[in-house]
Amino acid sequence: MKARFLFPYWCKFLGIGLFLVHLPVMLLKKQLGFDGAPAGDSIFNSNHSFFMITTLTMLSGLVLIAFSKERIEDEQITQLRMDTLQLSIYLNYVVLIISLAFTNRNDFWDVMRVNMWAPLMFFILLFRWKLYRNNSIIKDDAA
Amino acid sequence: MKNSIRIERAIKNITQADLAELIGVSRQTINTIESNRYVPSTVLALKIARVFGKPVEEIFNLEDTD
Repeated sequence: MKARFLFPYWCKFLGIGLFLVHLPVMLLKKQLGFDGAPAGDSIFNSNHSFFMITTLTMLSGLVLIAFSKERIEDEQITQLRMDTLQLSIYLNYVVLIISLAFTNRNDFWDVMRVNMWAPLMFFILLFRWKLYRNNSIIKDDAA
Repeated sequence: MKNSIRIERAIKNITQADLAELIGVSRQTINTIESNRYVPSTVLALKIARVFGKPVEEIFNLEDTD
């Protein structure tokens, strides 16, 4: 089974770089004079541009981390990737449904903004955890 | 599905890493196949059988539950 829609291995490091660049900018957004929210009354003002640039940096970083090949991307890794992607989508929608059930109109956009990156984050964390578990089992077998 | 890769490796005196390199997969994959946690594709099963110079059915066997 060939993984046709994955980025090359080196893209993972580019993704980590983009994500790390985005973090301090988002943490300092108030000091930089932005509220980090999407467009208000108009688009293409400085606030909107800041939101677009930071969001694009974060999302492209997470996509590259999530969907770059492993050093050896074989069929077992591909299967693990597919299973984990399915599990993370289920998990995301369970969390989303629960969040929406306990959300009023004011919090709705916050839930949706978190949901922009939550499925990718769930997938990355679960996939890394499963790879770590696989490697631990090998070490146990070798011991 | 059961397999006798561990035994075949011992006969041929090669490690999981050697076998992984010969067929172009990771060592983790060989480990998960040996411990029956992953069922390989037909292509991979044929590659493994070719390394040991035996038919696939001698290395991989169906179980009653399959």
